[in-house]
Amino acid sequence: MIINLVLIFIAAAITQNFVLTYFLGICPFIGVSRKLDQAIGMGVATTFVMTLAACVTWLIYHFILVRFGLPFLQYASFIIVIASLVQVVEMFIRKTSPALYRALGIYLPLITTNCAILGLTLFMVLKEYTFLEGIIFGLGAGCGFTLALLIMAGIREELECCDIPKPLQGAGITLIIAGLLALSFMGFGGLIGK
Amino acid sequence: MRNTVRIISVLTVVGLISGTALVLMYNYANPRIIKNQKNEMEKAVYKLFPNAKKYDKVAMGDDVVFKVTDKSGKSLGYAFIAEGNGYQGPIKMMAGIKPDLATLEGIEILESQETPGLGQEIASDNFRAQFDGLKTSPEITYVKNAKPGSPNEIQAITGATISSKAVCTILNEQIKTIKQKLSK
Amino acid sequence: MNNVCNQTCTGCGKEFSKGLWRQNPIFVQVLGMCPTLAVTTKALFGFSMGMATAFVLICSSLAVSVIRKLVPQQVRIATFTVIIATFVTCADYFLQANFYTISKELGPYVPLIVVNCIILGRQEAFASKNGVFRSLLDAIGMSVGFTAVLILLGSIRELLGFGTIFNFKILGAGFEHWVIMALPAGAFITLGFLIGLFNWMNKKSKSN
Repeated sequence: MIINLVLIFIAAAITQNFVLTYFLGICPFIGVSRKLDQAIGMGVATTFVMTLAACVTWLIYHFILVRFGLPFLQYASFIIVIASLVQVVEMFIRKTSPALYRALGIYLPLITTNCAILGLTLFMVLKEYTFLEGIIFGLGAGCGFTLALLIMAGIREELECCDIPKPLQGAGITLIIAGLLALSFMGFGGLIGK
Repeated sequence: MRNTVRIISVLTVVGLISGTALVLMYNYANPRIIKNQKNEMEKAVYKLFPNAKKYDKVAMGDDVVFKVTDKSGKSLGYAFIAEGNGYQGPIKMMAGIKPDLATLEGIEILESQETPGLGQEIASDNFRAQFDGLKTSPEITYVKNAKPGSPNEIQAITGATISSKAVCTILNEQIKTIKQKLSK
Repeated sequence: MNNVCNQTCTGCGKEFSKGLWRQNPIFVQVLGMCPTLAVTTKALFGFSMGMATAFVLICSSLAVSVIRKLVPQQVRIATFTVIIATFVTCADYFLQANFYTISKELGPYVPLIVVNCIILGRQEAFASKNGVFRSLLDAIGMSVGFTAVLILLGSIRELLGFGTIFNFKILGAGFEHWVIMALPAGAFITLGFLIGLFNWMNKKSKSN
């Protein structure tokens, strides 16, 4: 049981990293990876929303959609849940902790259109996880996203003083580095062999 | 206040229209999707047993097993679904086995999420051909980078040992279950 | 009169053509990366994904531009999202019903069209501010630009990774499959270089 959960966590965070193997959350990955502190903020906010979203959508899927036979409402309901969840979290943080809000606030609205969140909920349903497994899966995926974002931000800060060919500056070089990262993450592939 | 009423009415109307559209679409698509899934299974059975005339489901709890017969009613063997974990995700396949439950007739990969170009090669003709006439006892094993020596061995795909191994393990386990249940 | 007509027509031509090159959704706006990278292991999948996205984009642009004056400002995004999600679900069921094998290959990336930033972005930036006809042209232009890049990327990766394009054998048996191109890493690197090439060509044509 516990081993199973650990495996799910490692798989979501490293061997099947959302950004580097499923290509989920690439937009913020390219957009918000210029500075390390930004990357941390975005990563933490996303991890938080991911874990919460996994929780809520699992309950909705199993207790409403499956029970009443409404599978065709899955996509619409998931995206609405995620969007409102982000709003609620934003309001909650603003009320309770202004300091945290200042740190994370600007990233929260961006998260709604982050495909990693919807992707997470879809994969969770596809893999038929239980409630606890779903939460761990969300947490792991969030940590994986943060990890990829941090590595990328670190590399890009170094790149500032490099002489990159003009056409490749910006998105081009970021994608190529992401490719190399994906390649190195493949090395973790055998970590969870069964 | 007027604005609130407007917000609520717009959202309700949009929601209603979208809900109706989805119900209609679902009613159109669902029977076809079920048919597609059934077709796929049927195709796999006839591919494994080219001489098959009909197949009947054998009641066996959660396991899906079909008894396949030719046109004279003679048993050709069994086709069964085997499912398990691969390298990246679940692998689902249909396998055929002769009536003696000792020789495989072949396998068809129904679903897999292995690495394209490496693990996904388990669905290639070359790899699957190895299971044609493969002996299942004592159990199916694999060898790396060499021609298989004994009749119960296959050659693993270079660079995708885990996927190849997974196919063997999944088959072995399912065959064991089926043997137990059929001998009862 | 003649003049006015001419003007609107040139304007409309631009609404269509900007998506192809000048404001190409992938190369210039760097949007919709997730399906772009994920499904382009083969050209056919890229094409199918492009078509599904085009369907959703065109339909939602139409719907949004029709109801744009009725929707209150506060619930704009929510309404657009519901509309998009509806069309995406329809597209998904349609694929599953009629193109079962393709829909299995595309997997969860079809539902993920819901969060494809290109679609919501076009509704926000264009369809909610412009008439039906112009929004339609804009959506078609963006879809063609998007699909073209998907097919290009898919063809390159399929050619190098499997030696085929649209499942037709191009490179002979002597060709050692470049497996990395079919893997995620290949997607990132190919697209990175394609964007570089695009920028380089743009700069060259500007300086000429």
